Amino acid sequence: MKGIKDQTYYEILEVSPTATAKEIQRAYEHAKETFHTDSLAVYSLFSEEEVKEIQSVIEEAYRVLMDETLRKSYDQSHFQTVGGQPLEKPYEAQGVSKEQKASLSFTGLLFNPEEGLSRGKTLKQVRERMGVELPTISEETRISIKILEWIEEEAFEKLPALVYLKGFLKSYAQSLGLDPQKVIEEYIRLMGESKKK
Amino acid sequence: MGSKRVGQTQTINRKMIWTIGGGKGGSGKSFITANIGICLSKLGVRVVLIDADLGGANLHTFLGVSPPALSLPDFIKKRVSHLREVLIPTGIPNLQLLTGAQDLLNAADAKSVQKRKLVRSIQSLDSDTILVDLGAGNSLSVLDFFLMSDGGILVVTPEPTSIENTYRFLKSAFYRRLKQSVSSSSVKALIDGAMDRKNEMGIQNPHDLIKAARRMDEGDADRIIEEVETFHPNLILNQVRSKKDIEIGFSIRSACLKYFGIHLHYLGYVVYDQDVNNSIRRRRPLVLENSRSRAAQCVMEIASKLANHH
Repeated sequence: MKGIKDQTYYEILEVSPTATAKEIQRAYEHAKETFHTDSLAVYSLFSEEEVKEIQSVIEEAYRVLMDETLRKSYDQSHFQTVGGQPLEKPYEAQGVSKEQKASLSFTGLLFNPEEGLSRGKTLKQVRERMGVELPTISEETRISIKILEWIEEEAFEKLPALVYLKGFLKSYAQSLGLDPQKVIEEYIRLMGESKKK
Repeated sequence: MGSKRVGQTQTINRKMIWTIGGGKGGSGKSFITANIGICLSKLGVRVVLIDADLGGANLHTFLGVSPPALSLPDFIKKRVSHLREVLIPTGIPNLQLLTGAQDLLNAADAKSVQKRKLVRSIQSLDSDTILVDLGAGNSLSVLDFFLMSDGGILVVTPEPTSIENTYRFLKSAFYRRLKQSVSSSSVKALIDGAMDRKNEMGIQNPHDLIKAARRMDEGDADRIIEEVETFHPNLILNQVRSKKDIEIGFSIRSACLKYFGIHLHYLGYVVYDQDVNNSIRRRRPLVLENSRSRAAQCVMEIASKLANHH
């Protein structure tokens, strides 16, 4: 078994090194939920410092693995390919990469947890990180590109009636690997708040 | 328990012994044991349920059976010659009940030889699956039974107190398992010390323990790692009321992987259902009384997973 610092970003998020962006997104949300400060599953097992440490490694793992270029260079420094099978680098090599990890500082790319994942702009961010274009989502979900754009732009006045919007949000969330219920609830709440203003 | 190595390693055996423990009183261990037992028996599996709950042995009530006249002490005190003579018929085909096992767990003189002898007698029973309700205790005897079984099942509800107690039980079982595997007395003492988070050695978690053990004895450190890798307890989340509650099971699994390095198997969940309380009050097992209820469906799903171990 490995300590948190010795685990690869894939181990931190409990995904395989061949995981797709969608799988990483899902795993990240689960990890974030599990190691949330109020999570029932961790407070009696880990100290507050340990939880904080894990939270920051989760964010770092997500940031690197969702960025194609960063992920590629991370893979190169952590795995070597022998006969097509990714293998872990020997211990000495891991030491080098740890230094590289430390230099990866927090950037503004991370989501603000207060904002949740269901604002239009965060949906857009998730989609862009996954490297998926709107036409692909449109094709997959059969939602017109215009509506997807309005959802992302939070152009509430242009969006269709609630009953249709819920269906669209559900399909869009599913295509991004997000929890549809959460996305719908938060998006509708955001709409309500905006109307009040 | 038919394998050479003792405890928690999934092996393909003819007979499976499952122990149900952990959590706290009222988390539903007896309800789940009784109803899973019935589901398995309906699937054609020959089942013996063993009541070893120290806190209040009443598995018979969950089965709608009157307090039995014969129990395990009759066998231990040699009033009957074979364990099968103290098995109680439940009125349900393929399902028998053994009560009074808590007396053995409770007894201060319950030596490991005696426990192993009992395990051998249990193994010799003519059945396919044995489910042992251990109750909420975490005495050494309870931990040993949990570890000696083919599969230990933790029943937890999505509440802080229940999860806390489950982790406490799991920690005790985990460290006891490690202690049983090592040979050096200094590493054994190290494991004892590690159980207290405020220990002077600065061991905060199992990972720190392995590092410290390696400095003392390479072989023991390797044995600890092997024990960690082969320890696969199971989890059932009971009384879930929302999707978020169900997710807690997955979070517990992830937390155990990060903390202990163990792969906990999330067997399934049982929804909160008023029909459960109704069935208990009527002393009629839910899966017989109201097999279409949501909770009964959940129990059946879990039972079918256990049945696949045959």
